[in-house]
Amino acid sequence: MKKILTALMMLMILLSIPSLAIADETEEENGTEDPEIDNDTKKELEIMNFSLGAEIRLLQLQKAIIKNILKGEMAVEVLKALYFNTTTLEEILSNLKNLLEDVKAVNTSSNNSVQIFVELKYEAKNLTRQFRETIKDILDAEKLKEIRERIKNMISEDLQNYSKQIRNKIKQFNRNRLYQLYGIIGEANNSFINEYLNGNITLDQLKFQLCKTINYMNKERKYEIFSEIKKDNIKNKIKAQESYNNIKNKGKGKGYGAGK
Amino acid sequence: MNKKIVSIFFLLVIFVSITFVYSYYTSNNNEQQYNSPIQKIDENDISEEIDETFIDEDDEIEIGEMV
Repeated sequence: MKKILTALMMLMILLSIPSLAIADETEEENGTEDPEIDNDTKKELEIMNFSLGAEIRLLQLQKAIIKNILKGEMAVEVLKALYFNTTTLEEILSNLKNLLEDVKAVNTSSNNSVQIFVELKYEAKNLTRQFRETIKDILDAEKLKEIRERIKNMISEDLQNYSKQIRNKIKQFNRNRLYQLYGIIGEANNSFINEYLNGNITLDQLKFQLCKTINYMNKERKYEIFSEIKKDNIKNKIKAQESYNNIKNKGKGKGYGAGK
Repeated sequence: MNKKIVSIFFLLVIFVSITFVYSYYTSNNNEQQYNSPIQKIDENDISEEIDETFIDEDDEIEIGEMV
């Protein structure tokens, strides 16, 4: 009896191993992800294949740095009024200001603008973290909360101008992409594009309209268009991945794109 | 004793069949995704691809908070 049972158990194990291996293999194929890659940065690089996209990303980085400089200056003012030593914080702010000038000086049409963007963004994150940690050492949690509240609703004309400029550039970028899509679909609706540019219709409405147009088509045509759009998106992703790999190879050990 | 052996054997058969069916179904599903996407396109797929084509107007870069 025992022998039969052992034989059955062995048979069961032997039979189930190969089939489990097949299932495991397919799961592995689905779940491959590079843990080192910062997904936000990777996503941001996708539009940098286009010169206008690179312009947008650099403007957005400038805006983010300016926002932090303004917040940092406000925090320093508060600390000075409370007679704290702010030398280190002011040094960090000065470095952030220099960094801002570097971002402004980047040539968006140059081949290495993607690499420069990643380096500068990494540096901006680093300086921001330094500032945050330094101020954390100076003040207690309650005072920090108070300062946070004060600078939260900060209004700056400079920032508003940046927002407007970025919004306009994004609209232009979307218009170009819309023309590309119309090229794939085979029909263009110029009045629709103008309505979007003038702000009469939103991006969501525009997307909805496009989906509707494609969904009205027959199955084969719909598939053709879907494949073309997907192909374009995958191409952009591959280019972004290539840029990222180049940066990773050049800057090994620097940790670009990691940590906030 | 014979009854016990038969029931263990049946259990074994059921277990092995379930494992095979599961692995076959999993691998078959993946093949379908690659080989016959034409049957799988729905409004959501198109909408996802269109979403990826454009940039949201409120899109921003995050470098962290100062305080």
